[in-house]
Amino acid sequence: MSTPPPVIIVEDLQVAFGEKVVLDQIDFSVQPGEIFVILGGSGSGKTTLLRNLVGLMRPRSGRILIDGKDFTAMSSVERMEIRRRMGMCFQGSALLGSLSVADNVALPLREHTKLEESTIDIMTRIKLELVGLSGVEDYLPSELSGGMRKRAGIARAMAMDPEIIFYDEPSAGLDPIVAAGLDELIRTMQSTFNLTSVVVTHEMESVKIIADRVCVLHRGRVAGVGTLAELEQSDHPYIQQFFARRADELDAADEAYARSLTGID
Amino acid sequence: MIDVVGQVGRWALRQLSAALQVSVLIVDTFVWLVIAPLKGKGLRWRSAIEHTVEFGVRSLPIVGMICFLIGVIIALQASYTLDQFGANRYIADLVAVSALRELAPLMTAILIAGRCGSAITAEIGTMKVNEELDALEVMGVNPVKYLVAPKFLAMVISVPAVTAIAMFIMIAGGWASAVFVVGVEPIVYVNQTVGSIVEKDLLTGMIKSVFFGVAICWVGVYRGFQVEGGAEGVGRQTTASVVTAIFLIIIIDLVFTVLFYYV
Repeated sequence: MSTPPPVIIVEDLQVAFGEKVVLDQIDFSVQPGEIFVILGGSGSGKTTLLRNLVGLMRPRSGRILIDGKDFTAMSSVERMEIRRRMGMCFQGSALLGSLSVADNVALPLREHTKLEESTIDIMTRIKLELVGLSGVEDYLPSELSGGMRKRAGIARAMAMDPEIIFYDEPSAGLDPIVAAGLDELIRTMQSTFNLTSVVVTHEMESVKIIADRVCVLHRGRVAGVGTLAELEQSDHPYIQQFFARRADELDAADEAYARSLTGID
Repeated sequence: MIDVVGQVGRWALRQLSAALQVSVLIVDTFVWLVIAPLKGKGLRWRSAIEHTVEFGVRSLPIVGMICFLIGVIIALQASYTLDQFGANRYIADLVAVSALRELAPLMTAILIAGRCGSAITAEIGTMKVNEELDALEVMGVNPVKYLVAPKFLAMVISVPAVTAIAMFIMIAGGWASAVFVVGVEPIVYVNQTVGSIVEKDLLTGMIKSVFFGVAICWVGVYRGFQVEGGAEGVGRQTTASVVTAIFLIIIIDLVFTVLFYYV
């Protein structure tokens, strides 16, 4: 079977805050219709990578190709065009606090289409139904639980029927049951709409359920890319450590600190 | 010495980049307020009207009360001197001219800066902290179009409108204390007021108030976009927003007063 051209190609990406290089030599590609997980610990640069992919930040060097077009070097009009085909779910859901849930989902439709208000109403209901949130249309985001807010965020990201969807830490701050529900939703979305999905997470549990392929980030570099089975075979010490959920070896400073606390030599 | 030069240079660069950001904001606001609606991209009228109600109508009780009391106070203060010359009827002139040219526009602007300028900063700042601004951007919705343009329009309408009412209320306050405390004949006060006002007094006050509105809105918005790092950042910028806005209001007031002095 010949593989179709990748939807997203990242080439030798380098991102820096001032002098500090936070991402370096990032290379990977995402195939259409797959769930691609960017996995990494705190401070590995995974959220920064995602912000670059959706164009909220500009890299220092390197390219991000979306459907073969360089996303980092295009005019703002072109970028707007590409953005309409992308959806993003933020870590804190980022629903507009002053609008009801339905108005949040309807916002992209109202801004970008000339649809009748009644049509928008129906489409909003469908999207909310899709994520399992019917009946909460008139609530404000602050009146929903964390899991429901995330679902509403997914409904909003899906409003314009995107081809690519990005999730920033979908299960962060949720209990395991709600988190598992979200994992299932991400899977359903991908299989129903053949959505290309990019998920940033640090949760091994959800990676096992959702991931087609995984990119492991460590200290701003790619430690490995592949399916879970491939990565399990990897001899990269960080990947092994992450998969085995093992803590860092205590270095000398930590030990001294522990001794100073306990008073035991 | 080198350190001092470096400090001054860094300070100048910071001010320059702030000036640049404000200019970009000003240009964007006009694009989304004037040019985009002409091209059929639309303005959020509903939001503009809601904000006009918030900035204007809801400011009226507090602005009205403060301006009435200020009117009462000026009249009494004026009487303190004018009484010695038996010229209490001129209280009316003093209250009318100072209300129209200076105090009503100034008090209205300061109160709206405290009430609404801070609210604008807090709203935009909180949205930034909650990634809501990023979300708008990713959805392809321009934050200036969505958030700034309606607020700007509302502010430029509300501040002069409230100022006009405040002028009337301040004169009424002067009337009340002149008539009931000092003992000026009601009709004498009214005639004296009407006789003392010229068109230019009203005009200078109204022109000033439009610019006060512009300043309040842009300072509020700019400070909101400047917010970094959580709730604490929102608090810091909100305070800064009110202080900067009041400072700018006084400067604008000074500039226009000097200008109208010669014109």
